[in-house]
Parts: sequence; C-alpha cells; structure tokens
Amino acid sequence: MLGNYFKIGTRVLLRQKSYALLNIIGLAIGIAVFTFIFLYIQSEIRYDRQWSDYKNIYRVTSEYNVDGKIEKIALTPFRLAEDFRKEFPEVVSSTNMFFTDPSDINDISSVTYEGEVFEIPDITLSEQNFFKIFDYPFLEGNPDSMLSEPNTMVISSEISQEIFGDESAIGKKLSTVVREYTVVGVFEKKCWPSHHNFDAIVSESSLDTAGLVRLKKDWYWLICYTYVKLNDTVNIEDFAFKFNGYAEKGRLESSKEDNMEIEGYFINKFEQVSNVHFNTQLQYDSPSNVDVTFLYIFGIIAAFILLTASINYINLATARSLRRAKEIGIRKVIGATKSQLVFQYISESVILTFFSFILAMSVVEFLMPKFNQLVGKELTLVGSIFSGEGIIFGIILFIMIFILALIGGSFPAFVLTSFNPASVIKGNYFISGKFGRQHFSAGLLRRFLVTVQYVVSIGIIISTFIVYAQMDFLKSHDLGFEEENIIVINTPHDTTFKHRISNFLTALGEDNSILEVSSALNVPGYTGGKMLFYVGDTSKQNIQALNYYGVGNNYFELLRAPLLKGRHFTNSPSEDTTRNFIINEAADDFLKLDNAVGTSLNLAYEDNLDRGKIIGVVKNFNFSSLHEDVEPLVFILDSKKARYVLVKFEDGKKDNAISHIRKVWEETNKGSFLHYTLLETKLENLYKGDKKMLSLFIYFSVFVIFISSLGLYGLSSFLIQQRTKEIGIRRILGGSEIQIMIMLAKVYLRVVMIAGLIASVIVYFLMTSWLNTFAYHITINGWYFVAGILITFLIATTTVLIRSFKVVHESPSVSLNYSG
Amino acid sequence: MIETFELTKTFKAEDIETVALRNVSLKVEKGDFIAVMGPSGCGKTTLLNILGMIDNITAGKYLFFGQEVTQLFEKQKTELRKRNIGFVFQNFNLIEELTVYENIELPLLYLGWKRKERKNRVEDVINQMSISHRKNLFPVQLSGGQQQRVAVARAVVANPPLLLADEPTGNLDSMHGEDVMLMLNELNKKGTTIIMVTHSRRDASYSRRVVHLFDGQIINENFNSII
Repeated sequence: MLGNYFKIGTRVLLRQKSYALLNIIGLAIGIAVFTFIFLYIQSEIRYDRQWSDYKNIYRVTSEYNVDGKIEKIALTPFRLAEDFRKEFPEVVSSTNMFFTDPSDINDISSVTYEGEVFEIPDITLSEQNFFKIFDYPFLEGNPDSMLSEPNTMVISSEISQEIFGDESAIGKKLSTVVREYTVVGVFEKKCWPSHHNFDAIVSESSLDTAGLVRLKKDWYWLICYTYVKLNDTVNIEDFAFKFNGYAEKGRLESSKEDNMEIEGYFINKFEQVSNVHFNTQLQYDSPSNVDVTFLYIFGIIAAFILLTASINYINLATARSLRRAKEIGIRKVIGATKSQLVFQYISESVILTFFSFILAMSVVEFLMPKFNQLVGKELTLVGSIFSGEGIIFGIILFIMIFILALIGGSFPAFVLTSFNPASVIKGNYFISGKFGRQHFSAGLLRRFLVTVQYVVSIGIIISTFIVYAQMDFLKSHDLGFEEENIIVINTPHDTTFKHRISNFLTALGEDNSILEVSSALNVPGYTGGKMLFYVGDTSKQNIQALNYYGVGNNYFELLRAPLLKGRHFTNSPSEDTTRNFIINEAADDFLKLDNAVGTSLNLAYEDNLDRGKIIGVVKNFNFSSLHEDVEPLVFILDSKKARYVLVKFEDGKKDNAISHIRKVWEETNKGSFLHYTLLETKLENLYKGDKKMLSLFIYFSVFVIFISSLGLYGLSSFLIQQRTKEIGIRRILGGSEIQIMIMLAKVYLRVVMIAGLIASVIVYFLMTSWLNTFAYHITINGWYFVAGILITFLIATTTVLIRSFKVVHESPSVSLNYSG
Repeated sequence: MIETFELTKTFKAEDIETVALRNVSLKVEKGDFIAVMGPSGCGKTTLLNILGMIDNITAGKYLFFGQEVTQLFEKQKTELRKRNIGFVFQNFNLIEELTVYENIELPLLYLGWKRKERKNRVEDVINQMSISHRKNLFPVQLSGGQQQRVAVARAVVANPPLLLADEPTGNLDSMHGEDVMLMLNELNKKGTTIIMVTHSRRDASYSRRVVHLFDGQIINENFNSII
C-alpha cells in the first residue's frame, strides 16, 4: 500500500508540473534559508563547548561602581590566577591571558626567521596552565610543560605553515628587534570556535622581573583575562561569595598601603566559559562575541521564512484540493477509509518535501561560499550537519522538515477527506459537519494564511528600511571631528621605535600630499583604556575611573577637533609633561568643575611630586561607536608610547600619501610589516555587526517576498481558474478588462492592508528597541511603513495581474466553455 | 437483500429546503436487476447514493442484508460498502493518475488483498472484459466505451453482490452503450444484483423490474415489463 501511495504521489506531481515546481521551489528556498540560519546559529552556540569539562570552566570578570557609574570589564588583575591556586582548594586549575602587553616588549606583530619577516596578527601572553584548561589539539610539542620557560612561544598551525612550511617548528627561533623566542608548540586553532582569538602565545615569564613583581601585587590594574576550573561539587555562587570576600580584604589592604580611598564597590563575577561568546555587556571583551538577541532575531526570521514557505504549500494544496476532490470522492466510494486517504496525502507531501529538501541542500551547498563571506564564517554543510557532533543537528533539521511535511500534508488531507463523496462526484463541495452539510470554505483559512505571510513580508521590508536608514544616519552623523582623509599606521612595537619616532614623523610630513602627522596611543574607533584619577592636589578620595587617550601633539589639529577652553599640547617638553591633561566636555560635566582649565587632576596610582593639571577642554567627539554616548575622556600627552601614527593627507592625494608612507617606512622600520588603515574604514568597522544585520535583512526581504509571490502566483492561478466562468459572464455582461482585473486584485488589497497594519505595530516595537541600542539614532518615520506596504501591494498586485491577464483577454466563449 | 422503509431525504441550502426523496419504500431481492427511471431531478441518483451508503437519509429506515445502516458510523459503512457494493458512473470516474490496471486493482488494495492475489484477480477481470492489451494505458488514452469497460471491471473486481450503476451508458454512443448493457446483463445472470439509474428505455429493457420515480416518490413499478 505504501509503495502505491508513493507511486501515485510521484505521478500526481509529474502530471501537475507547474504546481509541483512552484511548491518545490518555494519550499526549497524556505528550507535553504532556514538551513543557512540554522547552521549559523548552530556555529554560534558551539563556542567554547569543546573544552573537557567546560561546564566547570569559568571566566572571571570585574564590575565596579565608582561615583555612581557601573563599569563591567572582562579583565581582572594579573594576580587572580595565582591567588586561586594558592588560596582555594576547590580550584582544579586557573590561568590567565594578557589583554595587552604591560611592557610592550612582546607586543610584536612581526617576527624574523632566516632573514624573512613574517606577520603574526594576534599575539598574547599566558602561562603553562593555559593549555591544561583549554585543551587545544597540539600538532607538535607537549602541552603539559609548555610556556613555563621565558622567551618561549606557542604558535598556531597556520603560522607554523606560513613560516616553516612542512618542517617541524619545535626549537626554531623567531626573533623580533629586541629578543629571540623559541617555538615550543604548534596548536590547531580552527578545531572549534572559541572566544579566544590568538595566533601565538608568549610565556608570561618573558616579562621583566620588576614588571612581574608589580603585577603580582596589584589589585587594581585590570590587564588579564582570568579563567578558573572548579571541582564538580562547587556551587559557583558560594565560591564567588567566598572569593569576593578574599579579594575585598586584599584590595582594602592594598588601598591602605597606597594611601588611597576608593568609594563604591568592586566585585568579581564568574561566567561559564560557554556563555562568554554571548556576553556583549563587557568592555575589553572578545570582538567576536555576539548579542544573543541577534541570534533570537535570526531564529525568529528563520522560523518565519519556513512558515511562509509552509503556508504556500498549504494554500496551494487546499486551492488545488477542489480539483482533487473528485478523485477523493471516487476513492471513498470504492472503499478507501479516511485514514488511508489522509495517509496518501501525507505521503504526497513527504515526496514533495523530500524533493524540496534535496533541492534546498544543493542550493545551500552551492551558495555556502557566498554565505560564509556574508557572515564571516567557514561553515560547510557536510561538516555541520552530516558528520561528527553535527549529526544531532542534522537529525533535528530533518525531523523539523518532516514535521513540516506532515503539517503541510495533513491540512489538505483532512479538509479533502471531509467532503461528501456523493456531492463531490457531482461537482458540489460540501463538508459533512455538525450542522448538516456545509459549503467548503477553505477560502477564509487561505485568506488568513496569506495575511500571515504578508505580515512577515511587510514586517521584514519595513525593518530593512529602518535598518538601512539608521545605517545611513550613522554614516552621515557628525562625529565631532573630521575622519576623512586620515591614514592610521600601526607602529612597530619594539622598544627602539620610541627613539626613531620623531624622525619618522618628520620624514612623513615632508611630502606635499601630507597635511599633518601626529602620533597616538589611542585613536577613535580603536581600543581605549581607563585609568583612575582624582581631582585636587592631595586627597586620594573621590577617585574616578575615566577613559584616557595618550596622544601626540598636533592630535586635535589633525582631527580638526575644536578646542573650547585653554590650550593645546605644545611641542615643548618643558611646558607639557605627562602631568598635563586635556579633557573633553563630557569629563568637564562629569567632574563638575567650575573652571576646568588650571584645575588639578592626578593619576591615582602615581605618587609623583609633579602635580598634574587640566590645560584645555575640547568639544565632545564620538571616540567610540555611536551605540554609546560620548563618555568623559582625559587626554595625556604621550608622544613616545605611540601605537599609531596618524597622517592627514590632501583630498584626492591618497595614493601619493601611501607611496610616501611606504618609502619612509622602508627607510626607518626595516624588518617590520607596514599596517595602515583609513580611519573612515576603521570607524565603519564599528558597525560591522549592524551592517551584517542589514545585508541579511536585505537578503531575507528578497527571499520572503519571492516565496510569498511564488505562493500568490500559484494561489491566484487556482482561484482564477475557479472564476474563469464568472470572468466570461462578466465580460459578456459588459465588464471591461480593467474592471475585471481590478476586481481580481482588490481581494489582495484588503489582505495587504490588514497585514500591513499588523506588521507595522510589531515592527514599530521591535525596531524601537533595536534603535535604542544606539545612543544616536533616527526617529521612526511613518513613510517607512507606507513604503513597505505599498511595495508589497505593488508586487502582490503585479503577480495577480500577470496571472489574470491571459484569462481576462481570452474570448468570453472560451471562458464559458471552461469546465474547471 | 435491500429493504427501505419510508426513506426521506431533504437538502437544505440557506433557508430553502428541497425534498429529494419522499417516503420511498423499496425491496430488492438477491439476483434482481432493477432500473430506476424518471425525469431529471426526481431523486434517482439520490436514491442510488443512499443505497450505496455514500449519502445519508433524513428519515426512514434502510436495511442492507437485514442490517440497519442509517445509524452506522462512516467507517462501518465504508467497510460494508467496499465488501458488498460496486459502482459504475455515467462519467466513468476513473482516477486519471492511475493506469487501467491500477484503477481496477484499487478496490482490492483497499480491501487489503495480497499482491499476488490482486494480480491474479485483476488479470482475470481484465481478460474477461477484453482490455488486457490496454492495461498499461491511462484513462485519457481510452475512448469513452473503453473507459466504461474499465469502470465496470473496477466495480466487479472484488466480486460484490450488489452493483449500482448511475446512467452507465449516458456518455456513450449506442454501440458502446449496448456493449456495456450486455456486460451488465451477463453479470446479473451470474448472480450479481444490479440497480441501475437510467433515462434510456432501451437500457431499462435489460432489467427485470423498473421503478418509476417522480418528485422523489415511487409512482410505479413494472415487473419484466416492456416499456
């Protein structure tokens, strides 16, 4: 019997090719988009679940409140990792990893091997326990003992391949300008996704002894990511409480020693390592972290797209059911039971879904490179759902699609099998109901389903407009400085560069394409830092954590950032030491200064006799993403510790400027890679996540509109077929072609209007909450809604008119002879 | 075999009630060949549908092999129908997606026959009806007469004791019509009870009894009559 069902099912689909094609293509697109989103979400939730015992691994973060402002930071003091091991027996192991290099000696980006310079993009420092907690697979070396010795280094397999090719890397020496590192291990980086993003790790013991001694004492310098692995039996809340008691004591003692008094609170929090990837609340956290709401939005869109495709299926099947009704009637008369008929319909649905599934998987495989490019991942279909751990996801996906087939097939099956056989054989469609015979009125349900479909379509279109408008707004928003025509050069981080920087800057300024140059430790759009300051000469009370930017002189002039009060830094070292500060308006307001210029401002951790003071106030400018408001910021003159050199070039002379920069770089920094970016590009990258969302929204809109139109085309085909006779009669009675086409399209106007209203309300609330994640955002304009509804209506009407055109233009005699 | 008492059937559309059958009492014995005649809309097909258990009655009683069927569940009626009744329609009602062979095989599938038994039986019937050379064709590839042959073959493949035919020659020319009537006559001779709705006096002449309906009522019954 089963074989018979499938045979008939296949034949039915083959006989009704256009119907089958519409359905298979619509459903395949739905399944393909769903699969893409599914793979994306799956790849995200896999983060940091590969480590043995990952449920017992926690990252320690810091939260403090100084003067009413809560700061949440992914970093902790260096000492915590060792404190955990020494003081807490419930700790299995602990480790840390540096965010930035405290002494710059290892902050290398280029290494030399056999006279050739190679680049290592991301490098950090850690110690021997790191690989005991994070059990990266190792291609070479013994992970148990590595990183214990000074001047040793562990590198990724990609870096090893690039530098050493197929040779073994162990024992090889990589040198920087100031020292030499021995490679002790090669790890596999791309085994599983992690919030860590490093290509090499240098041993912490490579730091100079004095620096290490200071780090081991410090309770306030937040510089490391700390990880702790606990016993199975430990209750994390109890442990956090116990640890914070210990840390509180430590901090108090340290403050007393330094004669500091810090108000507010400071606590350390513990988050399971597998949750780190979804935490976007912390500063200095991994840039690859994603907002979990983003994944929810994706998931909902995936479900909606699949829903739209399923609605197509149900709609087409029920509309077509009028043509199948007679067959069902015959089968019933011959002796088919209701369950046999339902099963037959479902088996047809399974066949159709199966073909759609095959087509969808082919589309997914074909478009995977494009999708990977869009989302910045390296997903593969086979790797994700057909092998290894992914098989579970594959099974889930398959079951979901099977359920879809069941739902898609069941509805028409139940409607059809409810027909009264005696009537359908005669061409009347009745359902035997509670109140006697009722006319088949699946039209109402169809209208409801089409409305749902259009709620989704219109919703996604309006959302796309709003996301686009917001992106456009960010692009054109006045940041408070001129970001155009500025090149940011990463300086070579070796200790000798500070002796060459003045010459480097002078040489850069010598070309006439270059207007200004300045050095900087921090640049808008790049990472900043926070330091503890206090206002006044002697009192260390009322300490504030403020953002600080180390800048060279000429910095504000180059950025065209207006000075409101006081003066700029000058070139003269006697006049401007690192004790002179320029603050922004926000800091002026935050510190509640009556007359900022001349006010004493000091770094909390330095007991220097040279007291610091504010020498100027600059107008606020957006130094981080427009998601955030302008925060208080203190500028410190620091020409030597430059991580970046800014070059402002004359409009239209970018190429000249770049070739000049290359020439100067070659002369002054031989052996180092030149890295430069346009500041505009860097700032645009701040909205990478938002842009990704925009491109995905655009793709989704296109898909959802396409699927809906496909469904509407098929549906209107059936409905117009049903009304062919009516169209003929109307034509004979004098109805013009236009009048009849308007009559046919009018049905959809109502559907689109209702769907538009519902979608507008939902989108308004969702998009308002998205826009609120930006400190600077557009106000939602009514036109976005009008345009979304109008576009959808035009597409829907065009679809229906294309389909109706032929029938309406036919001679009425042909229409009247049509037997349905 | 069949006995109806005061069968009444009404249709309701909005507020209008139409009486299709009014107090129809009919007795059919095993081996009968009954022709039901009457003008269009007199309730002939409605009566046939009720007798075939594919439509319900509004009032009255219907005994099939002594069993009251009006109160049966749909599933029970289906069971009774597929084991005992074969149908032949004016417009053949073959399933377009199935071949001749598959159309004929369908009732046996629903009866749960095994593949081999089905094959033997279908081949038998196909041979009897002389359509074995067309068994792999689809209905659209056949003429009206050939389609009705297939429909008759399908109706009798499960050896039902009762055959209901609704204007079986209505869509056929006289030559093919006669061919079908001869087939029905042959089946009746072999013991199949036949109730046939027809407009044609000629077709009715093959029956043993003619029931005349008018406005949903039996107005006349003729035995072995010459119309």
